[in-house]
Amino acid sequence: MSKDVYILGIESSCDETAAAVVKNGREVLSNIISSQIVIHRKFGGVVPEIASRKHIENIMPVIDEALQQAKVSLEDIDAVAVTYGPGLVGALLVGLSAAKSLAWATDKPLIGVNHLEGHVFANFLTDPELEPPFMALVVSGGHTALLKVTGYNSFEMLGQTRDDAAGEAFDKIARVMGLQYPGGPEIEKLALDGNPHAIEFPIAKLDAPYEFSFSGLKSAVINYLHNQEQAKREINRADVAASFQYAVVDALVQKAVRAMKDTGLKKIVLAGGVSANKTLQTTLAQAMTKIGAELVHPMPILCTDNAVMIACRGYFMYQAGIESPLDLNAVPSLELG
Amino acid sequence: MLTLAIDTATKVCSVALCRDGEITAEYSIHMGMTHSEGLLPQLEQLLKRTNTKKQDIDLIAVSMGPGSFTGLRIGLATAEAMAYSWQCLLHGVDTLKALAQNIPIEGIVLSPVLDAQKGNYYQALYQWKEGDLVELADTEVVNKERLLERITKFGTPALILGECKKLEKLELPAGIKLAPKTMLMPKASSVALLAEREYDPEADKKIFGLEPYYIRRSEAEELWEQRQQAQQMQQ
Repeated sequence: MSKDVYILGIESSCDETAAAVVKNGREVLSNIISSQIVIHRKFGGVVPEIASRKHIENIMPVIDEALQQAKVSLEDIDAVAVTYGPGLVGALLVGLSAAKSLAWATDKPLIGVNHLEGHVFANFLTDPELEPPFMALVVSGGHTALLKVTGYNSFEMLGQTRDDAAGEAFDKIARVMGLQYPGGPEIEKLALDGNPHAIEFPIAKLDAPYEFSFSGLKSAVINYLHNQEQAKREINRADVAASFQYAVVDALVQKAVRAMKDTGLKKIVLAGGVSANKTLQTTLAQAMTKIGAELVHPMPILCTDNAVMIACRGYFMYQAGIESPLDLNAVPSLELG
Repeated sequence: MLTLAIDTATKVCSVALCRDGEITAEYSIHMGMTHSEGLLPQLEQLLKRTNTKKQDIDLIAVSMGPGSFTGLRIGLATAEAMAYSWQCLLHGVDTLKALAQNIPIEGIVLSPVLDAQKGNYYQALYQWKEGDLVELADTEVVNKERLLERITKFGTPALILGECKKLEKLELPAGIKLAPKTMLMPKASSVALLAEREYDPEADKKIFGLEPYYIRRSEAEELWEQRQQAQQMQQ
């Protein structure tokens, strides 16, 4: 029997300082997340400098807690995996600097991880039988993409959004409607009491089969709100939220179904912050069942930013002998695929 | 005592090794390159060339600011993680005080300054008295006029050191000069020497939750507070 592999994962790309220990890529021994949501709320979004300041305060306590809760010492760790992009540069640099220093100080391999690949790999912790090839629908505040996972370390980008990301549209509409940050969960809550077919918002028809566009939809919702207000007509906020959400989910599901049919793949995973959206989960699951495919989505705690997914991604890179040099820098706009 | 020091508060990326007040090695680069890329390779070279075992280091000294917010955090995160890994002491020193350490000569007013953006400077005032570095006035964020005014108050001769690029064109009053280039910018060796004098064997065991000396709050916080005040005025 081969030796157990322990990976320490570190994540600080946005407004969560996180560290985790994962055993053999699939077993979570600890998952520590220090969230700053409450701190950024009064500013209506993440303030980069404030995020960086909280990260430096929290980074070592969070790492220490992850090791303690996992009941492993730093010596037991086989490699240090860390997010090096995409994300806020100042925020990324805190986790990256700590990770590089830990790896160097203890003579262990450093593994730089793409945050978005990490989100995809969160699904390995939900579904023990998941293995490539499979499809990934990445939906977050910064990205919307269909990614074919052809192997543990090989990806093929099928299509992305041409403008806004789905999560970005959620946040912007929430802000216009005066909902608090982060907007996605607030819209979802409001939509529960609304009729998704009350208002017909446009869904972009694009020639490219796997690409997305959400800026038109965003403008349509803002215009609708504005026009109603001008005409002094009453706005049913729940209906607006539900109809907007329906339009986003419908666009995502249509493209995902097309990609699954074209590639003949039988499994699709959800990844990124918006994967926590229940309407998206159920609608996509139903659509997949209809075409004989299966949906896997991360458990709620692994939908949003965490270090478990970074450790998991790092494990598969470690197994393939992929390491990063000590001069690894943060890459704020690191691409997927 | 073996001390490893880091200063990444400015565009200089400097690391040094000192043993009981003697400078063993120092490696500084002043190219405005990313500290994130350079810092660990520099540390690796430093230890390799001096045949130093990582576990033999007793004290990590780090420059805590004021300075570039991002630079300070790269230095501090690196220093904290090393101290955590090696279970050694970690001591943060004031970046401006470490600059004054560059010129350990009595009888001169020393004014270390660093760029605080928008035409402002972080300014400190020090003087060596009987082997001690004495702070003459609190560190303040000042403009050029106030900077010179504060120095003049303590008399001359005086030397300004630190980030002085924008002061070079300024006509300085008699008795006030810019420090020579070899002593102008932060040096990790000065950080190490200062830390060896200042460190506390109990307090410096703490490595969690340390914060750089930012002095200034984030711009978003300042604006938010201004808005709040304006709103209160209206009411």
